[in-house]
Amino acid sequence: MSGSANVSLLKVENLTVAFGGAGSVLTDVSFRIGRGEIVGIVGETGAGKSVLTRAIIDLLPPGGRVVRGEIQVEGRSVSGLSDAEKRELRGGEVALIGTNAKLLLDPVATVGTQVMRVLRAHHKVGKAEARRRTIDVFRQVGIVNPEARFDAYPHEMSGGMAQRIIIAMALIAGPKLILADDATLGLDATIQAQVLDLLASKGRELGLGVLLITHDLGIVSHYCDRVGIMQGGHLVEMKPVTAFLRGPETPYSQALLDAAKVRPTPMDAAGADGAIEHPPLLDVKDLRKTFVVDGGQTVVRAIDGVSFSVRQAETLALVGESGSGKTTVGQCLLKLLPADSGSAVFDGTEILGLTERAFRGMRRRLQVVFQEPYVALNPRWQVEDLVSEPLALLADGGRAPRAAQVERLLDLVHLPRRVRTLYPHQLTAGEQKRVGVARALATDPDFVVFDEPTTALDIRVRAQIIDLVRELQARIGLSALFITHDLNSVRSLAHNVAVMRYGKIVEHGETERIFSAPQDPYTKMLLAAELPIEGDLPAHPASLKQVV
Amino acid sequence: MKSFFSMWRRLPRPLRIILSRVGILVPQMFGVMLVTFILIRLLPGDPTLLLLGNMATPEAIQSLRERLGLNDSIWVQFLHYVGNVVHGDLGTSIFTSNPVLTDLQERAPATLELIVWAMLVTILIGVAVAVAATVRRGGIIDHASRIYGLAAGAIPDFWVALLLIFFLFSLAGIAPAPFGRIDALLTPPQRITGFYTVDSLLTGNWEALGSAAARLALPVLTLTIVNAGALMKLTRTVFGDVYRSDFIRHARACGLPERVIVRSALRNSLPPIITLVGFLFGFLLGAAVLVETIFAWGGLGQYAVQAVTNSDYPALQGFVLVAAAFILLVYMVVDILYEFADPRIKV
Amino acid sequence: MTRLPASMRRHLGAAAAIGLLLLVLQIVAIVFAPAIAPYSPVDADPLNSLQPPSTAHWFGTDVSGMDIFSRVVFATRINLLISIVAVAGAFAIGVPIGLVIGFYKNPLSSLVMRAFDFIQSFPVFVLGMALVSVLGQEVWNVAIVLAVLFIPMFARLIRAEVLSLRERPFISAARCSGATDLSIMFRHILPNALTPVIVQVSISIGMAILLTAGLSFIGAGVRMPTPEWGLMVSTGAQLMILGVWWVALFPGLAIVFSVLCFALLGDYARAVTDPSAETIS
Repeated sequence: MSGSANVSLLKVENLTVAFGGAGSVLTDVSFRIGRGEIVGIVGETGAGKSVLTRAIIDLLPPGGRVVRGEIQVEGRSVSGLSDAEKRELRGGEVALIGTNAKLLLDPVATVGTQVMRVLRAHHKVGKAEARRRTIDVFRQVGIVNPEARFDAYPHEMSGGMAQRIIIAMALIAGPKLILADDATLGLDATIQAQVLDLLASKGRELGLGVLLITHDLGIVSHYCDRVGIMQGGHLVEMKPVTAFLRGPETPYSQALLDAAKVRPTPMDAAGADGAIEHPPLLDVKDLRKTFVVDGGQTVVRAIDGVSFSVRQAETLALVGESGSGKTTVGQCLLKLLPADSGSAVFDGTEILGLTERAFRGMRRRLQVVFQEPYVALNPRWQVEDLVSEPLALLADGGRAPRAAQVERLLDLVHLPRRVRTLYPHQLTAGEQKRVGVARALATDPDFVVFDEPTTALDIRVRAQIIDLVRELQARIGLSALFITHDLNSVRSLAHNVAVMRYGKIVEHGETERIFSAPQDPYTKMLLAAELPIEGDLPAHPASLKQVV
Repeated sequence: MKSFFSMWRRLPRPLRIILSRVGILVPQMFGVMLVTFILIRLLPGDPTLLLLGNMATPEAIQSLRERLGLNDSIWVQFLHYVGNVVHGDLGTSIFTSNPVLTDLQERAPATLELIVWAMLVTILIGVAVAVAATVRRGGIIDHASRIYGLAAGAIPDFWVALLLIFFLFSLAGIAPAPFGRIDALLTPPQRITGFYTVDSLLTGNWEALGSAAARLALPVLTLTIVNAGALMKLTRTVFGDVYRSDFIRHARACGLPERVIVRSALRNSLPPIITLVGFLFGFLLGAAVLVETIFAWGGLGQYAVQAVTNSDYPALQGFVLVAAAFILLVYMVVDILYEFADPRIKV
Repeated sequence: MTRLPASMRRHLGAAAAIGLLLLVLQIVAIVFAPAIAPYSPVDADPLNSLQPPSTAHWFGTDVSGMDIFSRVVFATRINLLISIVAVAGAFAIGVPIGLVIGFYKNPLSSLVMRAFDFIQSFPVFVLGMALVSVLGQEVWNVAIVLAVLFIPMFARLIRAEVLSLRERPFISAARCSGATDLSIMFRHILPNALTPVIVQVSISIGMAILLTAGLSFIGAGVRMPTPEWGLMVSTGAQLMILGVWWVALFPGLAIVFSVLCFALLGDYARAVTDPSAETIS
C-alpha cells in the first residue's frame, strides 16, 4: 500500500449530480484521497469525470446541482461553506489543472501576472514579493529563464510550457489537493511524460493529494496509487493499480483494459520475405518541402530529404511528434501541398510532377483517411452522399448501383445501414472515423494514407478502429502509410517504422526491431516516454508483463 | 531589403504599430480624393456650370475650366484636383460664396462636440448595461437590455429626435428649444477648442456652460438611444463569450475574486468593442446630418443638407472629402488601439 | 441539436412569431393597398389639412390634407420595393464576387478586396446622400445607390466564410475524393458559406428601409407627393415643435415596425442556423 494517511484529504460520499430535469450525470460516487496519494479516475467521454472535478470545487456548469451526497475537504463540507470561503477553497486548498493549457490562460495578460493574481487572491503579499515567489515557482516547475518568461504572453509559449504555467498557477497558493483533469491531453508523448513526472514528484514532495482524471490507462499504471473506473456516472470499481492490472472486477473494466493493450502486428503480409524482387508500390526519394513564415523572414524545413518505400500489402508507420513534418509528407504525397523537390513514384508513375488534372485519375488508387473525423466531413452532407462522393472517380461512375455501393461500404466498415441518412454531427466520433474510412475505400484504392487514425478517441473506440484497419489489411491486402504519434498503435498495425524528427527520418526499420532495439537516441526517448500497459513498469514492478 | 526588415524589427512594438498604420493613410487619402473627384464627374452636364451654379459669369466659367484643366486628360484633371486639395482649395460654395474649407472649418467643432459627447455616453451606457446583463444573467437588466437591443436598431434617429422634442419640449417643457447650440440671447464662449462645453468651462462662463449642456442634451440623447443598442448588443455577445470561456472558468476555479474576473474579461473584450466604436463614429457622422437639421445645430451635417437642397456641389464634395478623411483618421486610431489591446497581433 | 435553454427558445419562438406577423401585415398592405386605404394617397384636400386622428381619418391628415393612414399603407409598397430590390441586387452581385475572390488567391482578388475595404470606410449615409443627390432624386436611383453601398458587405461576408471554409479539412478530403474546383466551390463551400449571408439579407433589408427613410427625410431621396415613410416624417418635423404629433408619429411607427420585423426574422434565422448549435464536441 502506498502511504494513504489516516485523515482523508478529500472525502466524496454518495455524490449524485443532475442537470435540469434529466437523469443524473453522477450517481452515488464515493471515494477518498489521502495525503501524498495519487488517485486516477478513468472513463470514456461522457462518463462524468469532468463533472466530478467541478463538483468538488462547487463550480458545476450552469444547470447542474448536487442532488445527494457530500464532499468534504479536510473534514469540512464544501456545500456548507460561504461564498467567500468557497472562493478561498478554490485555488487556495484545491487547485484545478485542466486540458489544453493555452485555452486556460488569459490571452492578453502576461503569464507572470496571471500566476501572481492567483497568489494575491489567496495571500496578502506585496507586488514585489509576489513576483519573487512567482519566479520561484516557475523555476520549480522547470521553466527555463523564469525572470524573462514572467513577461511572456501565452501565445508565445508552446503547449508543454503553457501546461507548466498552469501547474505553477495550481501550486503557487499552496493547495493541499490537486485535481488534474486530462491535463496532458493533446501534448506530445515526451512532453506528456515530463509534465506528469513533474506533477507526480511535486505531489509527493509537498505531500499533496492528486486526483488524476484521464482516459489513458497507461498514465494510470505509471503514476497512480489507486485507480477508479467510471462508467455512465457510476464509479464501478476502485482499487490499487497493481491489483487492478492483475484483475479488474467488472466486465467493463476488463474491456477497457483489454482495449488499451497492444496487439501484436500481423506479419503475414506479402512483403514478409521473398518480396524483395517486387518493385515497391510507392517509392519516395529525397522529398523536400520548406515553408516560408514570418513574412519571408524564417524558412522552416518541414521535410528535409525524406526517402522511403512501401511494398504491396505492407504498412509503413511514419512516427514523430508535432512539428516533425510527418503530416506534411502525407499531404505532399496526396498533392494537397506541392513538394519543393524529390520524387515519389507510385506504381511506376512519377506523381509529384503531375498536374491536378492528370493526377485526378490517380486519386482513385491513392486515398486518405483524415485526422479529425468530424471536420473532415462536410457538415451539410448526409452519410450516403459523403460515402458515394469518391465514386465519381470510377470510370463507370457507379451510377445505377449507388445505393448498393453505399451499403457495401457501410458493411465493410461495420456501420449500420440506418446511418445512411444521418449528418456527421449526429454520429459518434468512432462512427465519423468509420465514415472517413469508408470514403477512402470507396474506390478500391491500392494505397491509403492514414493520418493520425487513433488520436483523440476513447480507449474502446480506438481499439475498434485499430481492429478495423487490421481486418482491412488482412482482407483486402491494403498498402498503407500510417502517420501517427501513437507508438502503441504502431505496434499493432505497422510492419515497418520510420521515425521522423525535424523533417528528417532518424531511424527506419522493422517494427519489432525498432521497439526491441532502438538505435537512435531520439527513438529511445520516444519509446521511454510511451506509457504502455505492458512492458517495464518501474513504479509498479508487480504489474503484468506480457510478451509483445 | 533584409536590413530594412531587421531594422524594422528592432523598433519597439508600439512605434512599429503607429508607423505602419500612418503609412497606410497616404494611399487611403488618395483613394478618398479619387472618389470625391469621380462623384462630381458622375453628374450629367457641364461640371463648371454645376460647380459654379447657373448664375456664373462666362469669365468665371472660363477660369474654372482652366483651373480644373477640363481640356486635359482625366488623369491630369485628377492631379489638378489633388493639387488643389493639398493646398487647401476645396472650391467655393455656391450658396454661401465662401471658400468651402472656411465654411467647413467654421462648422466642424459643432459636429465634433455633438459626436464626441454622444460617443462617450454611448460607450458608458452600452458597455455598462452589457456587463451588468451578462454578470447577472436572467435579471431585470438582462431582459430589459434584450428588448432594448432589438428595438434600438429599428428606430430611425430623426424620428426619435422628433418624439423627444414633442415630449420633453412641447409637452413637458423640460428641454430647451431645438434651435442651435446655445441660447440665442447668450454670447457663445470665447473660441479655444470650439467645443462650447469645454470653452465655457475654461473661461468660467457658467451661464454659457449651462445653456450649452442643456442644448446638447436632446441631440446627444437621440444619438445615444439609437447607437448604444448596437454597442450593447455587440458587447453582450463578445463579453458573454469571453465570460463563459475556458480561461475565465479556470480563473474562477483558481479562486480569483469576481471583480478581477470581470476586469480581465472586459480587457479581453476590448478589441472588437474598439472596432465597433470606430465604426459607430462613421455612423454618428451620418446620423449627425439628420439630427443637426432637426436641432438647427449649424454644424457640418446641416451644411451638407443645405448643399443637397441647393445643389451646392462644391460644398457637398468638400463635405464628403472631410467626412471620409475624418473617418479614416478615426479608423487609424482604432487600428492602433486595437493592436495595442491585443498582444497576439503581429506588426 | 439546438442547445439554447428552453426559456430562450420560447422567447425566440415568440419573437419569430411577431416578426412573421409583421411580415404578413406588410405583404397584405402591399397587395391590397387600394382596398385598404380609404383615400387616395396623393390627393390633396386643403380644406381638411392637419386634422387630428378621427374616425374619418384614422391617423389624421397632413398639411395639404392628405390622409395619413392611406399614405402609410401605400408607402409600404415604395419602401419595401426600394429595400428589397437594393438588397437583392447587392446579394446577386456581392455573393459571386465574394465567392470568387475568396476562393482564388491572386493580386486581383486582393485589389478588389482593398477597394471594398475602402468603399466601406466611407460613412454609409454620407456617401449615399452624395450619390443620390448627384445621380438625381429618383426611386430607382435610391435603390441602385443602396445596392452599390451594400455590395461590399455581402462580398466581404461571403469571402470571410470562404476563406475559413477553404482551409477546413473536409475541403482537402473532397479534393482527395476527386471533387473539381467547381464542385468544391458550389457543392461544398457555397452551401456552408450562405448561412450568415441569409441572416445578413434580413438585417440589410431593415438597414435599407432606415437609409431610404433618412435620405427622404433630408430631401435627398424620393420627392413629394410620393408616399414614403421618411418623407412623411419630414413633413411633420416642424409641426412636432408646435405639438402637432400625428403627422410624424404614424409613418415613424411604420418604419419601426417594418425594420423590427426584419430584425426579428434575422435573429431567428441566426439562432436556427448558428453552426455552434449543431456541433458536438
